[in-house]
Amino acid sequence: MSPKIMTPEPPILSVKSLSVALPAGADRPFAIHDISLDLRPAEILCVVGESGSGKSILSSTMMGALPRGLAIQSGDLTLSDKALGDIDLTALSERAWRTIRGRRIAMIPQEPMAALNPSAKVGRQIEEVFAIHGRLTPKTRPAEALRLIKEMHLPDPERIAASYPHQLSGGQCQRICIAMALALSPDVLIADEPTTALDVTSQAQVLKLICELRDIHRQAVLFITHDLGVVADIADRIAVMEKGRLVEVGTAEQILKHPRQPYTQALIAAVPSFEPKPRAPVPNAKPGHCLEVDGLSKTYGRTRALKPANLTVERATTLAVVGESGSGKSTLARLLVRLIEPSDGTAVVNGHDLARLRGTALRQARRRIQMIFQDPFGSLNPRRSVGGTIARAAELAGCTRQEAEARAKALLERVGLSASAYARRPAAFSGGQRQRVGIARALAMRPDVLIADESVSALDVSVQAQVLTLLRELQMELGLTIVFITHDLRVAAQISDRVAVMRSGEIVELADTASIILDPQHPYTRALIAAAPGRGAI
Amino acid sequence: MKHFRRPTILIGAGLVGVWVLVALFAPLLAPFDPLKSLTPLASPGAPAPGGGTFWLGTDLLGRDILSRLIYGARPVVALSTLATLTAYTVGVSAGLLAGYYGRWIDTGLSFLANVILSFPVLVLYIVVIVALGPSPINVVIAVTFASAPAVFRIVRTIAADLKQRDFIAAAVIQGESAWRILFIEILPNATGPLTVDFCLRLGYTTIIIGALGFLGLGLPPPAPDWGGMVNEGRALAFAFPHLVIFPCLAISSLVLGLSLLADGLNEARDAQARGS
Amino acid sequence: MIKLTHALTGLGKRLGVMALTMLTVSLLVFLVLEVNVDEVAAKVLGQFSTAAQRHAWLLQNGYFDPVPIRYARWLWGFVTGNWGLSTYYHADVRDLILPRLAATGVLMGATLAVTIPLALGLGILAGMRQGSGVDRGVSVLAIVTTSIPEFASAVFLSAIFVFGLGWLPGVSTLSSGVTIKELVLPVTVLTLSSAGYIARMTRVSMVEVMASPYVRTARLKGASTLRIVFAHALRNALGAPVTVIMLQIPWLLSGVIVVEVFFAYPGFGTLLYQASVNSDIYLIEACAMIGVVAVVVSQLISDLINTWLNPRLVRAIRKAALQDPTVSVEASAG
Repeated sequence: MSPKIMTPEPPILSVKSLSVALPAGADRPFAIHDISLDLRPAEILCVVGESGSGKSILSSTMMGALPRGLAIQSGDLTLSDKALGDIDLTALSERAWRTIRGRRIAMIPQEPMAALNPSAKVGRQIEEVFAIHGRLTPKTRPAEALRLIKEMHLPDPERIAASYPHQLSGGQCQRICIAMALALSPDVLIADEPTTALDVTSQAQVLKLICELRDIHRQAVLFITHDLGVVADIADRIAVMEKGRLVEVGTAEQILKHPRQPYTQALIAAVPSFEPKPRAPVPNAKPGHCLEVDGLSKTYGRTRALKPANLTVERATTLAVVGESGSGKSTLARLLVRLIEPSDGTAVVNGHDLARLRGTALRQARRRIQMIFQDPFGSLNPRRSVGGTIARAAELAGCTRQEAEARAKALLERVGLSASAYARRPAAFSGGQRQRVGIARALAMRPDVLIADESVSALDVSVQAQVLTLLRELQMELGLTIVFITHDLRVAAQISDRVAVMRSGEIVELADTASIILDPQHPYTRALIAAAPGRGAI
Repeated sequence: MKHFRRPTILIGAGLVGVWVLVALFAPLLAPFDPLKSLTPLASPGAPAPGGGTFWLGTDLLGRDILSRLIYGARPVVALSTLATLTAYTVGVSAGLLAGYYGRWIDTGLSFLANVILSFPVLVLYIVVIVALGPSPINVVIAVTFASAPAVFRIVRTIAADLKQRDFIAAAVIQGESAWRILFIEILPNATGPLTVDFCLRLGYTTIIIGALGFLGLGLPPPAPDWGGMVNEGRALAFAFPHLVIFPCLAISSLVLGLSLLADGLNEARDAQARGS
Repeated sequence: MIKLTHALTGLGKRLGVMALTMLTVSLLVFLVLEVNVDEVAAKVLGQFSTAAQRHAWLLQNGYFDPVPIRYARWLWGFVTGNWGLSTYYHADVRDLILPRLAATGVLMGATLAVTIPLALGLGILAGMRQGSGVDRGVSVLAIVTTSIPEFASAVFLSAIFVFGLGWLPGVSTLSSGVTIKELVLPVTVLTLSSAGYIARMTRVSMVEVMASPYVRTARLKGASTLRIVFAHALRNALGAPVTVIMLQIPWLLSGVIVVEVFFAYPGFGTLLYQASVNSDIYLIEACAMIGVVAVVVSQLISDLINTWLNPRLVRAIRKAALQDPTVSVEASAG
């Protein structure tokens, strides 16, 4: 997967000073402003940006599929055709666009399962591309669809072709979408966050596939992503966008190793490194185990969501629990806070077995272990002020109304928001700010243990860095013990003292961070680390 | 707030408001005694003996139609509102419990709701009213019985969905009592769709009460009942259309107002969610 | 093969629930109407009967037996087709109901045959062209028509077509069999009251589907709008409307009663109406049970159609269609 050496070919898709206006009343006048880019054959251009950077609008513009209310205001978008010369895409009618879409420019979507018709077999959906553009005959299309499925390295193509999307995994669906995009050998492939919704191992396979497309079919690939690790692995060239503008463009080497713009530099610096840093112990921490889990398990009917798990966490340290979806890490987290009932086992927090208590004793013991959640938008009651939410937690911990209010205000300040935010509702805050509120809420009960369930996965990388720093500061100050659930090995490498790797409901490896990252023992851990994108370059 | 100044909401609220005011101030507004027989089958606009005008004409027994319409607004507004409120009390409580706790409570309550919902509405009313006799209270009971399951279903689905949200999980982890979770965390987040449903349900209830009156199963005579007025005037409608047209317009305008209000509130809610 | 047994057990379960529902309904109907024995005697023998007469009659007909036995006897009678004697018509209830049911069946069938294509068509059109004049027009039309009670629209339509223009008969007594002319007004009134809701539900479902990721994928493959609608949108959008149509049947059965009475149509509705006016208990019981059977069967058919349309989406669609009558097929409240 090493970046290819650039061949000086003329660009196949050329963007010059392109601007797309937003309707009146939006927070800025342009969705994208003055963007100039070239896409060349047999090259992967990665467009990187955080949320709101306009990268998705750019890809929609290139397919002539802008949402209602948005229009190209100025600039050029030109597609080079050997036979027809240069086609001005900004002036194309909808009818003409239909001959281009799928045929000359194709898109690989972000959510593969949602992007397929749920009531049609996937083989037929691939055949549809031919049908739309009048290629082949109804008799020859199925064979061609099968050939494409085989090319995607999918085993048992006949069975796959006869399946409905919900019968396939996310990774398989994405490969079907790629097969659909590839069907008519388009010159340009636009991939809009194609691996964001996939597991790390599926992601690695899909990335490999895309690189093959570049090498074998010599397609120009525009790859949109927010994940710099992915960029490091597959990009030939990189374009950095912020708030609708192009910040910097260059080769992968240039951008990653010698970024010139401050935004780019900050962006790269914010990415957690794979090198585990030595961690200073928290001062004044009482030695001993804060959390002891013994034989904790959960079975739903016949499914073993969590096989009996044993682990211990030293006081004022961080344990990262790493795994892909279905590994049981979320089940473990929910068992620890007694959100679901354990089938067996114990979970002792500073001497109190949360898994066994009931009634008032349980309610009191709950104070010791609190959680911060993944989705900043669903984790706060939209009808309540943020201050009220935090104060309620303090009240439940035994404070009076006044004490609770005071504590809430103090916590708001401590997490980096101002006390004046007390009366405002969650809708007034950004994702990162809401996560801070979530942290304040969790801390209002003065817990001993904090469970962070994928708490930074939904955040932009720069915001993520801030939240992780905040958590570390709080740990140093309050002596918090943290269990951090994540699928991102980089985050685990940066913030934890020890790492537990989970798979299919059991802990396959548990060791200190440095050992896991640098000298993994279990084959699954090794595979996980090997699949993590961008290990060499960032 | 600006989302709520839509024409549908304004017109709807206006229509409903007019009828509510008419119901409240009926004695002040009605030109005649609705039960008093004066000139039978007078045309709209005919003069009344002893002064005044029969603006909408009189019915078979000589009673002023306008006055009967005005007074007739009272039982319609009062019974619809009362019935819908009681249906809501029952339906919301049951729905919250079923949606939040799930499992046996949900299965049992849902089964009960489905049983009641298996009755075509009017058939249910007929059964209840034949058994209990026609009276305002029995109408309220019948309507509550028939509407509560539908409210239950809506609230149950909303509660079951909201239960999945992380802020409910947070409340549980903090040791919040189930009572407070149901009524302080979950219910306020359901007020949007419930307000819309409330307006619609008021409309359905009004239609049903009108239909009951039309079938002669509503309020006993001589009480002014819009549906009943249509029933009484039906035989002579060919020659005297005013007997039936005006009560139909009255009930249609009230329900139209409620429907517009519901639709407008729904759209305003969507617009608010998109815009903010 | 596994799918077939799975489907059969599913069907078996549903039939079981249906049976349980019917049982509970029958219990409710029986309790409500027959638990007060004096009332029953008064209604059967008439207001002018003496206490002695009533007592004798009650004794003779086993009304002093304990309630569970009476219920079992009644239920058995019902199941075996012995539905009692109508006090008003002095005829066997079953002989009265069946021809009336047929007539109502014709009316309902004609109504559905008109309503379904109309409502689906308008809803699909409105959903395809969201925000356009067509869309607004359909919405306004739907709101207005569903706001007018059946008897009111019957009045308005009669005023125009019977009294005003004289094109159509004012009553539909079917004295010379079923004729189109006599069906027009009743069917129109019923269509007006139900089409609007179905159209709006269809529109919402269509709008949702047209905005979905897989429709976007089809568009990005270069598909035309026509292909998108027919090959992708319809199959996925029709799940909710099908559920709604089936849910409308109980509502239609109520409307049918009003319409039949208004137009003197000799159907199930007028029978029930006469029964209620005359406190004809056995007739009411039988009609109530029949009504419930119709509803429950239509729910079963709705489930089966949904399963055929798309097994996995059944639950999601049904949930969305049932929860919010204002036609906004959304799954969360916040």
